[in-house]
Amino acid sequence: MRSSKRALPLVAAGVLALGACGGGGEAVDTGAGGGGGGEGGTLVAAVAAQPDQFDPHVTTAYPSFQVLENVYDTLVVPNAEDLTMEASLAESWETSEDGLTWTFTLRDGVTFHDGSEFDSADVVYSYNRIIDEELSNSFRFANVAAVEAPDPQTVVIRLSQPTPNLLERIGAFKGMAILPENAAEDLDLTTEANGTGPFRLESSDASSTVLTAYADHWGGAPSVGGVEFRYITEPAAALTALQNGEVQWTDNVPPQQIEPLAGDDTVELQTTPSVDYWYMSMNYARPPFDDRDVRRAISFAIDREAVAEAAWFGAAQANQTAIPEDSFFHYDYAPFQRDPEQARQLLQQAGVQTPLTMGLMVTDEFPETVTAAQVIASQLGEVGIEVQIETLDFATWLDRQGQGDFDAFYLGWLGNLDPAAYYQEQHQTDGPNNYQGYSNPQVDQLLQAGSTETDQAARKQIYDQAAQLIVDDVSYLYLYNPDVVQAWAPGLSGYQIRADKAINFETVELP
Amino acid sequence: MTGYLLRRVGQALVVLAGVSVLVFALVQLVPGDPIRLALGTRFDQETYDALLARSGLDQPLVQQYLSWAGRALTGDLGVSFRSGETVTSLIAERLPATLTLALASILVALVIAVPLGTVSALRPRSVVDRMATVVSQFGISVPDFWMAIVLILVFAGTLGWLPSGGYVPLSEDPAGWLQRLVLPAVVTGTVSGSVITRFVRSSVLEALGADHVRTAQAKGLRRREVFTWHVLRNALLPLVTVTGVQLAYLLSGVVVVEIVFAWPGLGQLALQSVQARDYPLLQGAILLFAVVFLVINLVVDLLYTAIDPRIRR
Repeated sequence: MRSSKRALPLVAAGVLALGACGGGGEAVDTGAGGGGGGEGGTLVAAVAAQPDQFDPHVTTAYPSFQVLENVYDTLVVPNAEDLTMEASLAESWETSEDGLTWTFTLRDGVTFHDGSEFDSADVVYSYNRIIDEELSNSFRFANVAAVEAPDPQTVVIRLSQPTPNLLERIGAFKGMAILPENAAEDLDLTTEANGTGPFRLESSDASSTVLTAYADHWGGAPSVGGVEFRYITEPAAALTALQNGEVQWTDNVPPQQIEPLAGDDTVELQTTPSVDYWYMSMNYARPPFDDRDVRRAISFAIDREAVAEAAWFGAAQANQTAIPEDSFFHYDYAPFQRDPEQARQLLQQAGVQTPLTMGLMVTDEFPETVTAAQVIASQLGEVGIEVQIETLDFATWLDRQGQGDFDAFYLGWLGNLDPAAYYQEQHQTDGPNNYQGYSNPQVDQLLQAGSTETDQAARKQIYDQAAQLIVDDVSYLYLYNPDVVQAWAPGLSGYQIRADKAINFETVELP
Repeated sequence: MTGYLLRRVGQALVVLAGVSVLVFALVQLVPGDPIRLALGTRFDQETYDALLARSGLDQPLVQQYLSWAGRALTGDLGVSFRSGETVTSLIAERLPATLTLALASILVALVIAVPLGTVSALRPRSVVDRMATVVSQFGISVPDFWMAIVLILVFAGTLGWLPSGGYVPLSEDPAGWLQRLVLPAVVTGTVSGSVITRFVRSSVLEALGADHVRTAQAKGLRRREVFTWHVLRNALLPLVTVTGVQLAYLLSGVVVVEIVFAWPGLGQLALQSVQARDYPLLQGAILLFAVVFLVINLVVDLLYTAIDPRIRR
């Protein structure tokens, strides 16, 4: 199976040419199995960056998942409309009375791209690989005691405690992909793939990644013959490429172009609120930020609408809790309206001498944090807080965050689906991502309860209470939920823009 | 001649050894934890420790250097943290694009610089000379990303004559190769050409005033012959150096231009390796750039001896 990959650029060209006339691609390592794929030509999608690698269990990079979304499947998958979990490789599932045993019935007639049959052994292999090798998603299986395969059509997951968000844990994204048994031994997973998804990974080089339609996909063959992901880092160049027809789709749209493009009929632009949230957080280990009044003063001093406008040119919704409006778990709670007078009073009450100097750590990895920080600095300046913006590259930023070397920082959490993902690791005492050092026993108890509560309505109530405490204490100072912004050629159909930014071209049709 | 060659190669090797130590040390000084970056924001301590042990970063620095340098001697630059591929294969993948752009840019630069610089020198303070000064000042000072975006908007956007960027190998699609090469080569070539124009102008001027040229003129040689044999040949010497330096600079990747034009060259790769704190890739890339500069300097020196026998010692 292991094949030489240095000849890939040439193969890519052949595939492109063949794909365009609807013929079968000559596959790199699986023989001529790709024949009879979709009718259409190749969709060219401009993305901002090159995937770092293709091992879904190892990579944490969004550019990799843009591609892998189309190559691999998971047991369950978020519904494109409302992101609730629905069947994918698992057809159905049931939970035991005590919530500790989940039994999944697998779909019949699913094959991997090399033609081999999919069964329960593949699921056990994939999950155990993540757990045993402590790969980047192993934290998602923290409650999993065992993964078993009583028969080829059945997978049983045994838990150490009830886990109502298990479906989200195993299906939120392709980091939980099902690989064929022994894939890591048979393939070089960093550059090769063998999934059950609608497209097979054909080739990848420094300028693009090419997928071809997998005709035997269990959900039916895709409508296009293939997809080429072309890396165009510069948003202005990506947009020009879309406008002059070199590419048919892009998610690399300059934010300042969002408004002008809405009235432009050479490009179809769509936005949808995302499941991401952006926030500021202050260091509880550094006075005076350990003082609740000081944090509340800062929260009162900020105009969230203005920050969202500056960072995203209007393509964001100001929010004071983490979870966006469209979600079932959204909680309408907004106690902080901009009120500089109250902010000054609270600072005085806390005995803070103004001007107070506060470092605010942002990263050029996410340029909107730099812009937003400037707005925040000017707003806080009005109440006597002098913000020193520290613009760092992301590695340094992460390092200092990890060491607790900051007064305040600004970042986002991306791709959250379940309320536990929004709150638990960030706000629980000793939570792995509680860098600010927040500790509230009541919140701990609520988050613990929320993570095991299986009744949806009761669960929402628990998280509403937790969110209220977190917001009131200003563990995080929530700012906004940005939109997902994507643009494509007029007439392109069958594509659905999604709040979780998963890009799926299975049903897309070219103009 | 052989002695001279051996001496120069020996010097280059010593410098390279020194550079390798520096490269390794400097990369370690870069702030930011590569393991944290590789894991993203959401992870736990066990995962962190597992990756740390796997990457060998828990070993003492000296041991890390020795094993890296030892393997580098055999051509093995290690495995990229980020992609899991070998550094040599990642660099090899970028080389064709980098070579293509560098050579095309030098060609553009020379096509601009040699005639412009020569004409300027032959007619100092003329209209042509003044225009050349303005043009080369513009070429040096205008930001390359700005020029790149303007060219994309005009030639790819408004006029639609050329693609906005990307790269295809010559063997695959010669027309597409050329189309994609034009804009980036014009941008980098203009910048390099502006630098070289000034060198050409001053070295031709200097050669024009040299004693042997006056002698040649006094002997009654024809103007053309004097210019070709006595002026140009001498003016060529500094041109070789400055072209060599520009070529080395282009071969180590022109980061901004490569990013704007989605050109998959070494500059992009080096930038990505810095951003990802991909130590093996970063070290490999810098070491390669050092080798490029050393080799080009060596070649320039050897060319000198071919053009000007006085240097041969």
